[in-house]
Amino acid sequence: MLRYLARRGLTYLVMIFLTTSAGYLLAVSTLKPALLEQERIPRPTPEQVATSMRLKGLDPDLSPWERYVEWLTAIVTRWDWGRSPNGAYINAEFGDRVWISTRLFLASIILTLVIGVALGVYSAARQYKFQDRVITSYSYLAYIVPAPIAYFLVQLGAININESVGERIFFVTGISTPGIGPGWAQFVDMLAHYAVPTVAITLVGWGSYQIAQRQYLLDNVNADFVRTARAKGLTRNQAITRHALRVSFIPVAQSIAFTIPAIFAGGFFAEKIFAWPGVGSWSIDAISLQDVNAATATLAYGSVIFAIGAILADFATTLVDPRVRVQ
Amino acid sequence: MTNLNAVDPAAVAQDAHLDNSDVVIGKSTIIFRRFLRNKTAVAGLVIFLGLTVFSFVGGYFTPWDKDTIDPFNIGMPPSAEHYLGTSQAGIDLYAMTVEGTRISILIGLVVGLVSVLIAAIYGCTMAYFGGKVDKVMLFFLEALIMMPALLVVAVATSGGGAGLKRDLPSWLLLIIVLLVFSWMGTARLIRSMSMSLMQRDFVKAAQYMGVPPRRIVWRHLVPNIGSLLVLDITRGVTGAILAEVAFSFIGIGIKVPDVSLGVLIGGATSQVQTFPWMFWVPLTVMFLLTGSLAMMNDGLRDAFDPSSSSSGRARRKIARLTSGQKKAS
Amino acid sequence: MSSETTTGPAEPTGSPVERLHVAGLHSPTDAVLSVRDLHVRFNSENGVVHAVRGVDFDLMPGKTLGIVGESGSGKSVTSLAIMGLLPGTADISGSVRLRGRELLGLSDKAMCEYRGNELSMVFQDPLSSLTPVYTVGTQISEALTIHNPTMSRHAKEVRAAELLAMVGIPSPNDRLKAFPHEFSGGMRQRVMIAIAIANNPRVLIADEPTTALDVTIQAQVLEVLHTAQEETGAAVVMITHDLGVVAGMADDIMVMYGGKPVETGPVDEIYYNPRMPYTMGLLGAVPRVDAAEKSSLVPIEGMPPNLLHEPTACSFAPRCPLASEACLAGEPALAPVPGVPRHHAACIKSEALGGDVDVLDIFAAPPVPASRFDAIPRDERATVLQLKDIRKHFPLTKGSLLKRRIGTVKAVDGLSFDIREGECFSIVGESGSGKTTTLLEIMEFHKDQDGEVVIGGISNKQAADSRARNAMRRELQMVFQDPTGALDPRFTVYEVLAEPLQNAGMDRQAIRKRIMELMKLVGLQPDHVNRFPNQFSGGQRQRIGIARALAVNPKLVVLDEPVSALDVSVQAGVINLLDKLRAELGLSYLLVAHDLSVVRHISNRVAVMYLGKIVEIGEVDRVFDQPRHPYTRALLSAIPVPDPQVERTRERIILKGDLPSPLDAPKGCNFATRCPVYAALPPAKQEKCRTLEPPLEAVAPSAAARALEAGPVSVPDQRFACFFPDGELEEDMLVVQDQADHHAP
Repeated sequence: MLRYLARRGLTYLVMIFLTTSAGYLLAVSTLKPALLEQERIPRPTPEQVATSMRLKGLDPDLSPWERYVEWLTAIVTRWDWGRSPNGAYINAEFGDRVWISTRLFLASIILTLVIGVALGVYSAARQYKFQDRVITSYSYLAYIVPAPIAYFLVQLGAININESVGERIFFVTGISTPGIGPGWAQFVDMLAHYAVPTVAITLVGWGSYQIAQRQYLLDNVNADFVRTARAKGLTRNQAITRHALRVSFIPVAQSIAFTIPAIFAGGFFAEKIFAWPGVGSWSIDAISLQDVNAATATLAYGSVIFAIGAILADFATTLVDPRVRVQ
Repeated sequence: MTNLNAVDPAAVAQDAHLDNSDVVIGKSTIIFRRFLRNKTAVAGLVIFLGLTVFSFVGGYFTPWDKDTIDPFNIGMPPSAEHYLGTSQAGIDLYAMTVEGTRISILIGLVVGLVSVLIAAIYGCTMAYFGGKVDKVMLFFLEALIMMPALLVVAVATSGGGAGLKRDLPSWLLLIIVLLVFSWMGTARLIRSMSMSLMQRDFVKAAQYMGVPPRRIVWRHLVPNIGSLLVLDITRGVTGAILAEVAFSFIGIGIKVPDVSLGVLIGGATSQVQTFPWMFWVPLTVMFLLTGSLAMMNDGLRDAFDPSSSSSGRARRKIARLTSGQKKAS
Repeated sequence: MSSETTTGPAEPTGSPVERLHVAGLHSPTDAVLSVRDLHVRFNSENGVVHAVRGVDFDLMPGKTLGIVGESGSGKSVTSLAIMGLLPGTADISGSVRLRGRELLGLSDKAMCEYRGNELSMVFQDPLSSLTPVYTVGTQISEALTIHNPTMSRHAKEVRAAELLAMVGIPSPNDRLKAFPHEFSGGMRQRVMIAIAIANNPRVLIADEPTTALDVTIQAQVLEVLHTAQEETGAAVVMITHDLGVVAGMADDIMVMYGGKPVETGPVDEIYYNPRMPYTMGLLGAVPRVDAAEKSSLVPIEGMPPNLLHEPTACSFAPRCPLASEACLAGEPALAPVPGVPRHHAACIKSEALGGDVDVLDIFAAPPVPASRFDAIPRDERATVLQLKDIRKHFPLTKGSLLKRRIGTVKAVDGLSFDIREGECFSIVGESGSGKTTTLLEIMEFHKDQDGEVVIGGISNKQAADSRARNAMRRELQMVFQDPTGALDPRFTVYEVLAEPLQNAGMDRQAIRKRIMELMKLVGLQPDHVNRFPNQFSGGQRQRIGIARALAVNPKLVVLDEPVSALDVSVQAGVINLLDKLRAELGLSYLLVAHDLSVVRHISNRVAVMYLGKIVEIGEVDRVFDQPRHPYTRALLSAIPVPDPQVERTRERIILKGDLPSPLDAPKGCNFATRCPVYAALPPAKQEKCRTLEPPLEAVAPSAAARALEAGPVSVPDQRFACFFPDGELEEDMLVVQDQADHHAP
């Protein structure tokens, strides 16, 4: 098992290297931070710009390949991901933001999975009944709304609640109110900031899980082994909950591989809309600031998240499916 | 339970019917009829076609266009002169919506069709050659899946002095980027489907008859994955429209002066309270567009299902479920 | 032979047979399971399907009832209705009493009291009937927990191991922790039986328990069922389509057709004195593995009735050669056969039909076709296919990045045989023996194969260009096992048949003409060419497959299990067709089949394969009547014969375990691990079997014949690969089912 995971990890490492390299080369040949610098007032001379860039390791006169080699050497030898045009160090910036993003998404991922799977089971049990139709229709609706618009609508809703109550219950932007001391007040403040984005991401995310879980369970409800379980003396419901349910988790576990990256991708939108200074909004800002190193770092981060998702999915699958375990 | 399956009442009934009329109708006719029998799907088709026509001829019904500012009507709600009102800058919303719908549909159709084409070629090639070719191509495919598409979109369409940006309109740039990142899922699906088809006895029979490989692919493989291709086109179109809206909404997709539904919706977010029509009108159009495509997809799936008896609610329900499952993967 | 089980409405009859038992001892209330007027209806989109229409029977303790019928006859629905396992949408009426208590109408919860406790069931497909994510031990313990909530964990474990041992699973304590996918099909079916008998049921329903299994494994599982019945004293309802399977173990038989029992009675009555044309047809449709003489099989034309419509006449009438006006006047009830106690038949002519009526006459079976080649000695006929030392070894590798070869699977290991004109050559063996790989090797036909394949004089070693390959393709065509999968669902029959013809470069006009010829040749209506395959029945689809194979006039047709997917009555028609085509067109066949009775019926020569090697080969009657290799003997003895007398008395070799994985193939004789002779040999001789590979040699002529060896005439066409063909058999592996079993109190 460990060997298997190690081998998978190695494959993904190669992939991450390739995508990141490709990303760097794309970024370095399209993004030109020097041009932005020249728009500063007072306008610096091209020589000044070039010197300041060179000092930050962003020499515009080198060819993309030379810069790639330089950049890669720095990472491999010193784990130094370079600097931004404004002089900030990527490693430090990145560290702060990863935690903000992770905090935001962890709750959403867990909630999405739990609610989606639970509703899927619930609606499968009440197939074609009113509850099933409502839940499943909602999931289809979620499918045809682009994520950022859904987040925006949730934000609007939260604002409406605040207005109708006449008090600010939810914060619709930002991660915390500055100047609140530790303790209970800080906790409430955190909840008020987390609630809206978490709810928004979860609301959009669970639909596909509900539909998939419902379908997988329905596929298994009439399986031969459920019949066997009933023939032993279990009622239909017992047979389904004890046997069909567990088997129907297998494909859902496999699909974790795609959820985690999907939620992080959705996170770009969420961070932008709820103004959370996470990796997502940073990367978009970095691109508009022509920041090659930051853009590449976030791209590498995205690839790592994907690989983690895939390995977690492998792990989850082996957990629920003994057939994989033995191989 | 074999007993129940063996006496297939549908087949028996169909048989009796065929005995009476000696005409055997073609497969495509059957599929077309089944599709037409599905009210939701037909409604979807009508809405979609209506919107397409609107996006092309709608411009002739108003004297305004998307570039002309009406200095006398700035930020006006819908009126007789400006059917859907005007923006803060005094531009006619109706004219912008027509233009935006056209761009959105264009992006959707091009990306949907071309990505399925790429996927079909890539997937069939993998399945056909197998072995090493398959492995290398699969690695490349998975690497592409790993790339966060959004970042690449942002890099490709972002400002600055990038050469691409100057030569190409932003919608074309977006199409190219979306294309690069939209075909992998379908290609994987086509690959696995072709691979299982290659194992089917009728393909083996053709091979043993000495039918050349090209003909086998053309006569046996392609028609049998045809339904999947058609369904993936509608799914791809929906996906591309949604992606355009999402990217433009946060400002990294289509850029002004080009107009699209996403640009319109995104641009209006800050004015929902003051100019609500600027937000809700393009949003409604987008819903009509994606909703009608989803309805069509549902009907198509039903029509292609060979076991479908094309009547009865139960069947349609199942079809809808499977379409949902697709999305999850 | 008689029994205390009664089928059909109980009615007092004082007959000599009945007098053997104490009169009046068994009133219907003594029956452990008693079913009355059971009806099951389903709502479908096309209307109400009346799947079961009035089933009655009484099952006495410890007795076995065989329910026989083809797919669609309602036999499985009946069993599920008894178990209360039909979907809620099914409309069930009538009465099912288990030891006097009514089961119909009980809630799912109330039924759970009985299910798995007094009433249990074994299902058809062992591969899908166990939950893949739980260990076998958990699944057995669950059955115990449900009905014995107070049982301790330890006690359950002990009992589970005991059950596994009872069904013949070696080292049961370790195997409890195994998952279903670590078991073979036969082993899983044993586990299913263990679960079913966990709580000592009074009634055990087995629904086609061996249909998905190989014959040797089938024999093992039937033996386990037999043991299970003895251990628990349960009454058994055995549902099957195979008249052979129930012949030996049932006390009574109920034949179902179109959702209704059409004939019921004691087992001997049904087999030796059938009174319903359908039963007679079914019995005549099955080829016998133990009969050398050739007669055509009884084909039952037509299709089973459509249960959407309430029949107004005898439901078998449309297929019955004896049907007359009177048969259409109403559906005949199950009525006692005059003069025969407890035998009921639903036929107005049952009186006129007795044991001495020739079923072949009634069903107008075609005459046995004679090929023009039959008269020519084999040696003088041309060779159409020759295999010389064909090998197919697959490397078994481990690891995905760096592949390590950990062994070789010898799927086919040095195969040589030839097929002459007009001859049917068969390959038999269990699944995994390499039969199918052999076919694929012949069909692949390319230069890099290990060994030489010569088809119609064209050798694979010279077939470098596509012209030679195409010439070979015209000599050789194939018919597939699954008629549905072999036809492109998007092609009409016309397109299906036109494909090989177009490929051969025929013009439109000629193709049209040829297709019409082909349709007639295989007995299909030419005006059906515009239909799609899904508009035909399974038998008709297989005929289309045969027509396609014959389109280019090949000399040799490869048949891969051509009838195993078909119902018994349909199977007979296809076999007769194959027989007729061989004679009329002078075809040669290479047949692969697991059903030895079919093989015996249509082949001239046969090869028995075991783990990639031929262990015995020769003229079919010789091999089947005087098998020399212990494996052939075991294989033949495992096949149930539709003849209760024979079944009850004959000796059966039950092989231990499954086919070993080709990876663990021993150095010497492949079969040594399971061989009943080897097991009984003294160690010195065992050593020889283990280390030396027995060559394929001709049957040693007797001493007298050896003296005359100069004359080649006396050498019989039979060769086998065994050192000790005359060795004693290990007694543990021998089972003689004697009559005493049936009369045990």
